[in-house]
Amino acid sequence: MVPLENLLVLSAIMFSLGVYGVLARRNAVLILMSVELMLNAVSLNFVAFAAYLDPDKVLGAVFAVFIITVAAAEVGLALAIVIRLFRNRATSNVDEAAIMKW
Amino acid sequence: MTFDEGQGYVVLATIAVPLLTALVLVFIPGNQKMAVRYISAVTGAILAGLSIYIFTAYQLDGADAQMRLRWVWVENTAFLGENGISLNLAVDGISGLLALLTGVVAFAGALASWKLDFRNKDFYILYWALLAGVYGTFFSYDLFFFFFFYELAVMPLYLLIGVWGSTRKEYGAAKLTLMLVGGSVLIWIGIFAVFHEANLGTFDMEKLWAAGRDGTLSPEFQKVFFPFMAVGCGVLAALWPFHTWSPDGHMSAPTAVSMVHAGVLMKLGAFGIIRLGIQMMPEGAEFWMPTLMVLGVVGAVYGATAALTQRDFKLISGYSSVSHMGYVLMGLATMNQIGITGAVLQMYSHGVMTALVFLMIGALYDQAHTRDMKDFGGIAKVMPLWVIFYGIAGLANVGLPGFSGFTAEFHIFVGTFKSYPVFGALAIFAAALAAAYMLRMFAIVFFGPFNARWSDLKDLTPLERLSGGMLIASIVIMGVWWAPFTDRVGQTVTLLPGVTG
Amino acid sequence: MGAEEAWLLAAIPAGVFFVLAIFGRALPRGGDYLGVAAILSSFVLFFVVLADFLDTPGKIGPVINDVEWSNIGESFDLRMGIYIDPITITMFAVITTVALMVNIFSIGYMKGEPRYYWFFAVLQLFAASMLMLVMADNLLLVYISWELVGVCSFLLIGFYWEKRSATEAAKKAFVTTRVGDVGLLIGIIMLWKATGTFNIQEIIHLVEEGHVGQTYLFAAVAFVFLGCMGKSAQVPFHVWLPDAMEGPTPVSALIHAATMVVAGVYLTARLLPIFEYADGALLMVTIVGLITALLTGFIALAQTDIKKVLAYSTVGQLGFMFVALGAGQPAVAMFHLMTHAFFKALLFLGSGSVIHATHHNQEMDKLGGLWKKMPITGTTFFIGSLALAGIPPLAGFWSKDEIFVVLNEEWGIWAVALLGLSAVMTAFYTTRLFIRTFMGKPMDQHVHDHTHESGLVMTGPLMFLAFLAVTAGFVVFHGVGKGLGFPGGMTEFIFLPHHGPHKYHFDAAWALASVVMGGTGLLAAGWMYWGNSTAKSTQLAESQPGIYDLLRNKFYFDELYQAAIDRGMLGFSYVVSWFDRYVVNDTGVDGSAQVTGFSGGVLKYLQTGRLPNYAMAVAMGVLALAVVGLVVRG
Repeated sequence: MVPLENLLVLSAIMFSLGVYGVLARRNAVLILMSVELMLNAVSLNFVAFAAYLDPDKVLGAVFAVFIITVAAAEVGLALAIVIRLFRNRATSNVDEAAIMKW
Repeated sequence: MTFDEGQGYVVLATIAVPLLTALVLVFIPGNQKMAVRYISAVTGAILAGLSIYIFTAYQLDGADAQMRLRWVWVENTAFLGENGISLNLAVDGISGLLALLTGVVAFAGALASWKLDFRNKDFYILYWALLAGVYGTFFSYDLFFFFFFYELAVMPLYLLIGVWGSTRKEYGAAKLTLMLVGGSVLIWIGIFAVFHEANLGTFDMEKLWAAGRDGTLSPEFQKVFFPFMAVGCGVLAALWPFHTWSPDGHMSAPTAVSMVHAGVLMKLGAFGIIRLGIQMMPEGAEFWMPTLMVLGVVGAVYGATAALTQRDFKLISGYSSVSHMGYVLMGLATMNQIGITGAVLQMYSHGVMTALVFLMIGALYDQAHTRDMKDFGGIAKVMPLWVIFYGIAGLANVGLPGFSGFTAEFHIFVGTFKSYPVFGALAIFAAALAAAYMLRMFAIVFFGPFNARWSDLKDLTPLERLSGGMLIASIVIMGVWWAPFTDRVGQTVTLLPGVTG
Repeated sequence: MGAEEAWLLAAIPAGVFFVLAIFGRALPRGGDYLGVAAILSSFVLFFVVLADFLDTPGKIGPVINDVEWSNIGESFDLRMGIYIDPITITMFAVITTVALMVNIFSIGYMKGEPRYYWFFAVLQLFAASMLMLVMADNLLLVYISWELVGVCSFLLIGFYWEKRSATEAAKKAFVTTRVGDVGLLIGIIMLWKATGTFNIQEIIHLVEEGHVGQTYLFAAVAFVFLGCMGKSAQVPFHVWLPDAMEGPTPVSALIHAATMVVAGVYLTARLLPIFEYADGALLMVTIVGLITALLTGFIALAQTDIKKVLAYSTVGQLGFMFVALGAGQPAVAMFHLMTHAFFKALLFLGSGSVIHATHHNQEMDKLGGLWKKMPITGTTFFIGSLALAGIPPLAGFWSKDEIFVVLNEEWGIWAVALLGLSAVMTAFYTTRLFIRTFMGKPMDQHVHDHTHESGLVMTGPLMFLAFLAVTAGFVVFHGVGKGLGFPGGMTEFIFLPHHGPHKYHFDAAWALASVVMGGTGLLAAGWMYWGNSTAKSTQLAESQPGIYDLLRNKFYFDELYQAAIDRGMLGFSYVVSWFDRYVVNDTGVDGSAQVTGFSGGVLKYLQTGRLPNYAMAVAMGVLALAVVGLVVRG
C-alpha cells in the first residue's frame, strides 16, 4: 500500500498548484480549473485518511462524493457566468471585470 | 375552553386583527381607496373595542397577570428547555392601561388618515403591522417575542415617514430609524446576556424576573447590563441626550404616524424599562436609578426650555414630548409606588394628549401648508372648534387639573418629592415652563388680530371631530376620575420588585 | 337640606357651564338666564347652609368626609371632603352675592357682544371652581380649584382675544400666577411629605402636635405663601392684575377684585395655624402685605385709567388683608375681605357702567362731570369711594380700623405708620378718581354729550352693592351679629388658638386716627383736583419729573420683568435650542453618522473588484489562521 505521507504530499502539491493558479492567473477559465484542482486535493485528502484511519467506514469517501457533486454544480454555474462575461465583454480576463467595486 | 382562556384569545386578537387587516389589504387593488379606508376604520373600531374590553375586564384584586394565552413555539431542542420560546401573552395593570391608550390612538389615527390619498393601501398595511407590533410588545411575557414585536413596531416607521412624510423626510426617517435600531442592538445584547446568565433555557419572562429577584442574575451582572436595557429602551422614550430623533422625526412624520409614534411608540421605550429593567434587574435598577433620575430631570427641563422659542408647531410638540417623557423617566426612577404609578399614568396621558395635538396640527397643516407659528394669528375666528380642541390638548399638556396631565404629573411630583425633593421642585418648575410655551403658542396662533390670508380655512371635519372627541374624552375621564386608572396600575406597581411604599 | 348639600353650590353652576358651553350658542339670548338662575340657586343654597350652620352653633368642621378618591396600595390614599367653618361661610357669602350681582349686571353690560353665551358659561365655571376652592377640606382639591379659577381668569381676561393686548394680558396673568403656583404645589407636597396627608385639619393638627421641624415647616409655609402671593397679586407678583383689566369690566369686579384674587388671602387664613407655628412666617406675611400696600398706593397716584387705579387699589387692599393675617387675626382679614369685596365690586361695576355709557372710554383725561348725567352710578360710586377711603360709618372704615388696631397690638406703631401712609394714599387716589370722573367740567365734551345713565339691570346691582357697602361693616358689632343670629360680632368667632378671639370694642382714639388718615387723603385730593382741574397736579408732576415718571411707569416692574424674561429665560431657551441643534444633534448624532460615513468612504477602497485580490486575501487569511493555530498549539 502506498504510504500515507506520499498521498498527503501529492495532495499538498495539488492544492498549492491550485492556490498558485487562482492567485496568478487572469483567465477566468483557468482560475476555475485551479479551484477544481484545490477541491480535488481536498478530496484526495479525505479519501486517503478514510482508507488509513477507518477502512470499514467510508465516511471520507462520502465527503469526496459530496465535493464532486458540489464542484459539478459550481462549474456549471461558474462557466455560465464566464460565458455571459465573454458575450458582454469579449474577454475572459477577470481583471477587466472589476466593476463590482466602490 | 375556560373563560380565562377565552380572554386570552381576546388578547391574541389585538395582535391578530391588525396583522390580518394588513394581509387583507395586500390583496386589495391599490386603486380601491375607499375600500381601504373603510376596512381600516373598522379595524380601528374593533381594536378600540378590544382594548376597552381588556382594560375594563382586568380584574382588581385578581392575579397580577390575567387573560393568559401560551402557544409554545420551540422547546426542548438545542439550548432551549421547557417553554423555550413561546407566544406567551398576558395582561397586567400597566399593559392594560397602555393597551387602552393604543386602541384609542390607533382608531383616532386611522380616521385621521382618511384624507390620505397617495398609496393609502401601502400606508395602512404598514400602519397596521406597526400596531400589531405595539400590542404584541405590551402583552408579550416572552422575551423573544417581546423583542420581535418591538422591532415589528419600530421598523415600519422608516417607510411611513420616508414615503409619506414632509420637511426633510428622508433625513428624519433615517435618523429616527438608525437611532432606534441602535437602541435595539443594546436591548438585543442585553436579552442574550440575561438568557445566558440565567441559564434556564427559556425566554419566559416570568422565570427570568424570578431569576432577577432571587439572585440567579447576580447583582454585578445586573449593574453591568441594566444600562443596556435602560439606554436601549430609553432611546425610544426620548431619554436625554438620545432624544434628537424626536423633534426631527415628528417634524417629518405624517399626521397619523406622529400620533401613533408620539402617542404610543414612545411609551414602548418606557414600558421596556419597566419590563426589562425594573422587573428583570431590580438590583441594577436600584443602582442606576439615580442616574436615570438626573437624565429625566435634564430632559424635562431641557425639553420645556427648548420648546419656549420654537416657531414650528411640530417642533414645539416634539420638544414638549421630550419634556413629558422626561417626567415618565423621573417617575420610573423614583422607585416608589407613587412615582412609578405616575409614570405609567403619564405614559397614557401624554399619549392621548400628544395624539390630539398632532391631530390638530395635521388638520391645520393640510389646509395651510405651513407650520410656522408667526404666519398665523386670530385663527379662533375661522376655526373655533379647532382652537377649542387644541386648547384642551394644550391645557392638558400644561398639567391643568381636570385633565389627565395633572393626574399623572401630580403623582410624579409627589413620588419624586418623596425620594428626591430638589428634583421634584425642578420638575414642578418645568411644568410652569410648559404653561409659558403653550400660552405663547395660543397667543400667537389662536388669538390676536386675524390674518386675512387664512379666511378660507375650514374648521374640523366630522371625522376629525370624532377622533378628536374620543381623545378628549380619554383626557377628561382620567383627569376627573382617577380611581379606575390608579387602581389598575397600582395593583401591578405594588408588586414590582425593589419598589418602596 | 342642610350643610351636607353644600356641594350643590358648586355643582349647579358647574352643570350649567357644560350646558352653556355646548348648547349656549343655540339658546335664545345665549342662555344668560340659565347662568343667573344657577348663581341664584347657589345664593339661595348658601342661606340653607347658613341656616343649618346657625341652628347648631357648634357645627364647625367637616360636613362631608372621606370620599374615597383614589389610592395606590396603602401608601397614597386620597380622600376628598367638604369642610365648612366661619371662614368658608364668609367666602360663600362674598362669592354668591357678588357673583349674582355681576351676572345680572353683565346682562346689560355684555349685551350685543360676540361670544355672549361663552362669557356666561365661563362665569359659571368660575363660580363653581371658586366655591369648591373655599369648601375643600384638603389641599389637593384646593390646588385643583385654584388652577381652575386661574384658567377661568385666563379665559375671561382674554375674552376680547382679537385685541393683542388682551391676549398678552391673559397670558401674563396665567404665567405669573403659575410661577406662584409652582411654589404652592411644592409647599403642598412638602406638607404632605411631613404629615402624610393632604387634609388641612389633619395637617394643622399634626403641626400643632409638633410633628414637623421648624425650618422645614417654615420652608413649606413660605412655598405655600408664594402661591398665595401669586394669586393675590402681592409684590413682586402684582404686575398681572392691572393688565388683567383688559377683561370685560364685570369680570374685573368678580374675579379681579372680589373673589379670585382673595383666594390667596383665603388660603393663608385657612392655613394660618400652621403659619403661626412656623417662626417668622407671620412676619413674612406682614412685610409682604405692607410693601404691597405702600408700593401700589404710590403707583395708583399717577395712573389715569380708572380701571387701573382700581386695580392697584385692589392690590393694595389685598396687602391690608395680608397685614391683618400677619397680625395673627384671620377674622379681621376675612372681615376686610368681605367689606372690600362689596365696595370694590361696586366700584368696578360703577366704572363698568361709566365705560358702557361712554362707549368704552376709561381714561380720566376724557371724562369728568358725569354725576349729573349718571345720577345713580355717580351716587353709588360716591358711596363706594368713601367706603374705600375709610370714611365712617361706611363698611371700609370698620374693617380698616380693625386692621390698624390688631397691627398695633402685634407689631407696634411703626407698622401702623407705614400702613397709615398707604391708607392716606388710598383716600387720595380714590377721591381723585371720583372727582376726575364725576365732578367738575367734562374734559371731552363729545364723550360727555353721548353719555347716558345705564338701565336698571345695571344700576340695580349697583344699588344693592352700595347698600352692602354702607351696612356690611356693622356686622363687627356684637349686638348686630347676635341680632342676625350669629354667635357674636364677625371678628369674634374666627381665631387662632394662640392669639385668641378678637372682640370688637369701639376705641375713639383709633377711630379718630382712621378718620384723620382717610380725611387727609380726601381733603388733599379735593384741594388739588376740585372742579376737575389738573393745573395743580400737572404743576406738581412737572416740578418732580423723576418721581412722577417713576410712579407713572409703575416703578418699572414690567420693564424689569420683560428684560429678565427676554434676556434670561428666552435667552436661555435660545442657548438650549442652539445647543440641542448644533451640539447634540449636528455634532453628536449627525457627527457619529458622518464618522461612520467617512470610515466607509475610506475603507471602501479595499473593495477593488479584482478577483485575485480577494483570492489573495483569502489565502493570506488561511495562512494567518494556520500560523496562529500553530503558535497556540505550539
